[in-house]
Amino acid sequence: MNASGYVPQLMRISAQRDETSDVRTLRLDQLNRAPLSWRSGQFGLFSVFGLGESAFTIANPPTRGDHIECTFREMGKVTAGLRRLSVGQVIGFRGPYGNSFPVEEWRTKDLIFVGGGMGMAALHSPLRYVLDNRDDYGDVVILNGARGVADMVYTEEMKEWASIRDVQVVRAVDPGGETPEWDGEVGLIPQIFEKLGPQPDNHVVIVCGPPVMLHFMLQSLDRLGFHPEQIVTTLENRMKCALGHCGRCNIGPFYVCRDGPVITAAELKLLPPEV
Amino acid sequence: MTASWRLSAAEVKEWLDSLLAAGRRVIAPAGDGGLMLFRQVSSAGEVRLEDTAHARWSPKEFLFPRTETLMSYTFDHSSVQLAPPQPAATEQVLLGVRPCDAAGLTRLDDVFLGGEEGDQLYADRRLRTTVVSLACAAARPECFCTAVGGAPDGTEGSDAQLVPLPAPQGYLLRALTPKGRELVGGPEPGWPAATEQDWEQARTQAQRVAAEIGRSPLTGDLPGRLMDAFELPIWSTLAERCLGCGICAYVCPSCSCFDISDQASAYCGTRCRSWDTCTLTGFTRHASGHNPRPDQPSRYRQRVMHKFAYFPLESDGRLMCVGCGRCVALCPAGMDIRSAVETTATEVPS
Repeated sequence: MNASGYVPQLMRISAQRDETSDVRTLRLDQLNRAPLSWRSGQFGLFSVFGLGESAFTIANPPTRGDHIECTFREMGKVTAGLRRLSVGQVIGFRGPYGNSFPVEEWRTKDLIFVGGGMGMAALHSPLRYVLDNRDDYGDVVILNGARGVADMVYTEEMKEWASIRDVQVVRAVDPGGETPEWDGEVGLIPQIFEKLGPQPDNHVVIVCGPPVMLHFMLQSLDRLGFHPEQIVTTLENRMKCALGHCGRCNIGPFYVCRDGPVITAAELKLLPPEV
Repeated sequence: MTASWRLSAAEVKEWLDSLLAAGRRVIAPAGDGGLMLFRQVSSAGEVRLEDTAHARWSPKEFLFPRTETLMSYTFDHSSVQLAPPQPAATEQVLLGVRPCDAAGLTRLDDVFLGGEEGDQLYADRRLRTTVVSLACAAARPECFCTAVGGAPDGTEGSDAQLVPLPAPQGYLLRALTPKGRELVGGPEPGWPAATEQDWEQARTQAQRVAAEIGRSPLTGDLPGRLMDAFELPIWSTLAERCLGCGICAYVCPSCSCFDISDQASAYCGTRCRSWDTCTLTGFTRHASGHNPRPDQPSRYRQRVMHKFAYFPLESDGRLMCVGCGRCVALCPAGMDIRSAVETTATEVPS
């Protein structure tokens, strides 16, 4: 029994980095509780006092676990308030919640990370985990798409990752989103993915992006012969409690906060089509 | 057989007054007949236990308040002070609860006490609550407990039960749990023991009321059939009249969904949870504007599926509907969840 499951712990913003004009990554240091432990893929509820809570994935891996990171886009009241805060100010955190990516099962396999827009934030932790344990995994492909060049996140890190052995970084923008200087791909993510010609053998594909991208990516993967068990995604739904009680994040009997957010395409197929 | 006694109407009142005198908070149906509600009473005279006494709303708010504080806080630019809520310490008795409503409370238990993360606020309140149900001596048109596993004299969720006998015979009172036994005053409360004939009369009455309700149990693999019906077009027809007002959830004894929101000024605030419902438009709308349940049919489907498919799938087949019928009686558009379930389940090609 959780004595006060809704009372967050306090964290101080110790660094911030603007990814785009409306996306920011925060580094948060715990103020007074015992060090957190979490797994890649888990999420937390972040409090802006006076405004409310929002759910974000924990963006850094446990291999870099002396603090917490989150990447968020300013969308509503809470995220606008969070973006108004500056280094040194205090926010609340409760979590970690949910299940995690099966990073141990992926050892020796070739991995393809496909992130669309803000979906890249949810892949950041497992990707960094894999790169921090580089020798345990096979080839890594990172396909990152966004609407336009100005919407690309983790730009500096992408450059760093591209220089790691057997890591290929492919960056793409939607048609019309390119600039004259753009040297990446132009096209929708599923098209670029198919162009890369990936083979299903010994591969795991980790996909996260808006529902419409996920829909078409799953179709592409099916066409290319990937088995649903090889495809892992992480879901997001509006949620309030993160404890399986408030009743709004479910897809059929599957509660994203409690049973997810990480799910294979095989498991997703068994759920009602309500993503 | 459980310990049971026979009490005159006057003795029931004396018993209630003794509970009040002992400092218990007693919550019972009260009101002037026009609008009967569960509320805290200060004398037994206020309590309405006659056949026609049906509270407009269920008593769930005394375990799961409409709005409650999850924490308070003060904050400025660089520091925050948190104040967790103080759990209520009062022993309370919910009395005159119809068997359907008592069963509804056990569904709230499943939600708030089941699983890995129990809810401490709910658990504290639940621990301090004793439920005395009141068996039904008459049916109302909207009643359907018999279709969903209940009965006019059902005891699920009851610590003790009052069974009204035809006037002027008074009531039978049975203690069903240690808590109920304590409430009636231990093993020898001083009333005459109920006889086998008394209980025979009570059983006959319950059978008569069940026949009046006239709804046979929903049988077969209901969750399975509803899951198969998820994509059928019938939902559009069923939900055509739904206004998305949410009254069905607010009067429901088992609906447990809630919202969490902050009420704050510049330097202090309160985080509250408040009842919420899946039939409201914004319930599942993402910050991006995407809504996985974008229209009223998908939201109404969620309501039906949660109660008759998703919840039973993880609760050994128990439905999250106890057949009180309030949603049927109070829907401004005349929606009827009974026919929605029956229609959908029979639409599935077998």
